[in-house]
Amino acid sequence: MASQRDVRTRISAVKNIQKITRAMEMVAAARLRRAEQRIEALRPYADAIRRMTRQASEAAGDLPTLPILSEHPSIQRVGLLVVAGDRGLAGAFNSNAVRAGVGAGREHLGQGREVVYFASGRRPASSLSFRGLPVSQSFIGFSDRPAYADARAIAERLMTAYVDGEVDQVEVFYNGYISPLSQVIRRETLLPLQRATVLDESVGAASEQESAARRGAVEYEPAPEEILKRLVPDYVEISIFRALLESTASEHGARMTAMRNASENASSLIEDLTLQMNRARQAEITQEIMEVVAGAEGLG
Amino acid sequence: MAEHTPFPVQVLTPEGELFSREVQMISTRTTVGSIGLLANHEPLLATLEPTELRLYVTESEVVRFAQSEGYMQVAANRALLLLQEAHEPGALDVAQLRDRLAEAERELEHAAEDSERRRTAAREQRRLTVFLRIAEAAQH
Repeated sequence: MASQRDVRTRISAVKNIQKITRAMEMVAAARLRRAEQRIEALRPYADAIRRMTRQASEAAGDLPTLPILSEHPSIQRVGLLVVAGDRGLAGAFNSNAVRAGVGAGREHLGQGREVVYFASGRRPASSLSFRGLPVSQSFIGFSDRPAYADARAIAERLMTAYVDGEVDQVEVFYNGYISPLSQVIRRETLLPLQRATVLDESVGAASEQESAARRGAVEYEPAPEEILKRLVPDYVEISIFRALLESTASEHGARMTAMRNASENASSLIEDLTLQMNRARQAEITQEIMEVVAGAEGLG
Repeated sequence: MAEHTPFPVQVLTPEGELFSREVQMISTRTTVGSIGLLANHEPLLATLEPTELRLYVTESEVVRFAQSEGYMQVAANRALLLLQEAHEPGALDVAQLRDRLAEAERELEHAAEDSERRRTAAREQRRLTVFLRIAEAAQH
């Protein structure tokens, strides 16, 4: 049986770990709140882009025929973007996204297609290459706080790959954010971009500003068709930015939960160890009494 | 600049609202060219190019941003600017911009003629060149 001193050392070690996991939990909670606010902050921008697209496409009559809107005649190579984090200690957050991407990759391979991966985050980048899968490019260093420029860099790389014929379809996998306790893996097709995504009618009624714009003659600089050529790729960028933001919120949520579990686990471990220490101490006392009694009897 | 009637302007980025106040004049650059926008402008929808955006709140108070690509909508005497990125000139990192610009130039050299990769690199180069110029001016 472990001595009192051994158990006491273990208790203090576990207490130190608990301090770290508690601190990580609190940091994750603070970052989660900021990440949630950033998801909210994107909405007015995304809605305004939709309204402008609608206005320009009404003026132009239709969407222009852009390479990212047109399907390739056959799908031979598929690009899969796996979005997760730069760091671990977040429960199954990273592995869930990687597993979904790898699973989909296997499906595509089964259909005789080639698969090439893109990774956002150090974790998916390293686990994909560890599995010996082809990673065309990794985007790392921003999973704590992704900027729009990061999303644009990824979107430009993927759109370039699609337009230049490197891939015939692009899908994204990420942890969709529902609540701090609940994240679901989402799988979305990014390219070719669906016309329905661009001309989504679900955005509320036209604002006062727009109705006014429609009544009056609007000046377009340049022509509406040219404006649309700029607006349409923005949908891909915004989709990726939203995926990055949701993934970040999910990561902090998952880390918070994982660290809370670890802290609770440490508490029950400390309880068990304290019990064990008390038993050890009692055993030592009993032993000493027995020895004293035995000694006294020997004298008598 | 003489006194002009103020009108409401909102600047939105994907990372949130950056500016929402009344200004006398907006100075920016559309795809067609530089533009100074005053109150009661006719309805407009324009694409914006990287430049220094200046919002003249008063003659002496000018709010400046390094603006990336974006859009400007004017309707009912209100202006809405949607910018992919907008940075306060003092917040730009000159050394980092130089590195990124050098990288964009390398990419431009390697990209095949008339490829999407080349067009993307050219856009990146244009944007970074403008940001770098604004950042360097802010240092002095």
